[in-house]
Amino acid sequence: MIYLVTGVAGFVGSHLAEKLLAAGHSVCGVDKFLDNYPRRFKEWNLAQVSRHANFEFIEKDLVDLDLPALLRDVTCVFHQAAQPGVRSSWGEEFAAYTHNNILATQKLLEASKKSSIQKFVYASSSSVYGDTQDLPTRESGMTRPVSPYGVTKLSAEQLCYLYWKEFSVPTVSLRYFTVYGPRQRPDMFFHILMRAHLRGEEIPIYDDGKQSRDFTFCADIVDGNIAAAEYPGAGEVFNLGGGSRTTVEEVVHMVEQISGRKAKLKMLARQQGDVRHTAAELKLAREKLGFNPKVKLYDGLAQEWEWMQKIGA
Amino acid sequence: MPISQELLEILVCPKCKGEISLNPSGDGLLCDACRLMYPIRDDIPIMLIDEAIKLD
Repeated sequence: MIYLVTGVAGFVGSHLAEKLLAAGHSVCGVDKFLDNYPRRFKEWNLAQVSRHANFEFIEKDLVDLDLPALLRDVTCVFHQAAQPGVRSSWGEEFAAYTHNNILATQKLLEASKKSSIQKFVYASSSSVYGDTQDLPTRESGMTRPVSPYGVTKLSAEQLCYLYWKEFSVPTVSLRYFTVYGPRQRPDMFFHILMRAHLRGEEIPIYDDGKQSRDFTFCADIVDGNIAAAEYPGAGEVFNLGGGSRTTVEEVVHMVEQISGRKAKLKMLARQQGDVRHTAAELKLAREKLGFNPKVKLYDGLAQEWEWMQKIGA
Repeated sequence: MPISQELLEILVCPKCKGEISLNPSGDGLLCDACRLMYPIRDDIPIMLIDEAIKLD
């Protein structure tokens, strides 16, 4: 079995590739090394898989690749590549979001149409829901993103559905709820929090700290992806969440406990595009994919803290 | 300006005199043996044990 993992040098993509290789599969990984954070992080993410005999790496933009040729021997596509980040998706930067999130997905779907792939798993986002009052949020709930990033993720998700409906491309979209763990991107909250805490600096807290998220550990997201690849159905959307809601304030307390030192906080105003609460309804994912998030927030945070210390991020 | 490769090659940990490496953010030099990180401020590595960040 050959699996294509796009965004393989990223946070989730690298963990997924490792798990697939460990299970005895072959992985073809694509990454364009977006300059959204230092390349060195991504090279470190790839360090382990790049030594594996069954791993092939292509450094290129998906839009410029000969995708039909690439998909010739591929069994399943895990499309993790994206231009991430909610706050940076406003203004001039939006063009990068349409290119990397919508156009790249459309090109990959177009190539999939003529291929014999058995599954196309798309990494969507809880940001497609926007500031919903429907908590825990169901997949059938209203999608009204509050950031341009969310709009592009939703567009790509709808393209996935469209290519299933019109051309029977076997797509499944997974809406990730705030993924965390070792290799988390440097612009994500836990990374920022732990980096500042490691250095004894002030931790920026946007809003009042009472906003909550359904935090999902990266290994659980990887398991959700593999379950989606094995799922016999298609044309569907599933939430992948950690199974519980925690406030930012509570997270800070946990990090204090893990590190054994008191955090210095700096309270800042709410940012445009931030939602107040997120919580995933996991009924569908549990029933259909057998998804069962295993890692408790405290344990997952401890693993991320250990990684942050190891790399001195 | 990022720290040059030439400079990196001649710098050692002031505590154990062992090898150091650049962290992924490019703003610290790591000594794995001592579990210390020497910060780089304004492109200048601060090679002082007292200023180092303890990583354990």
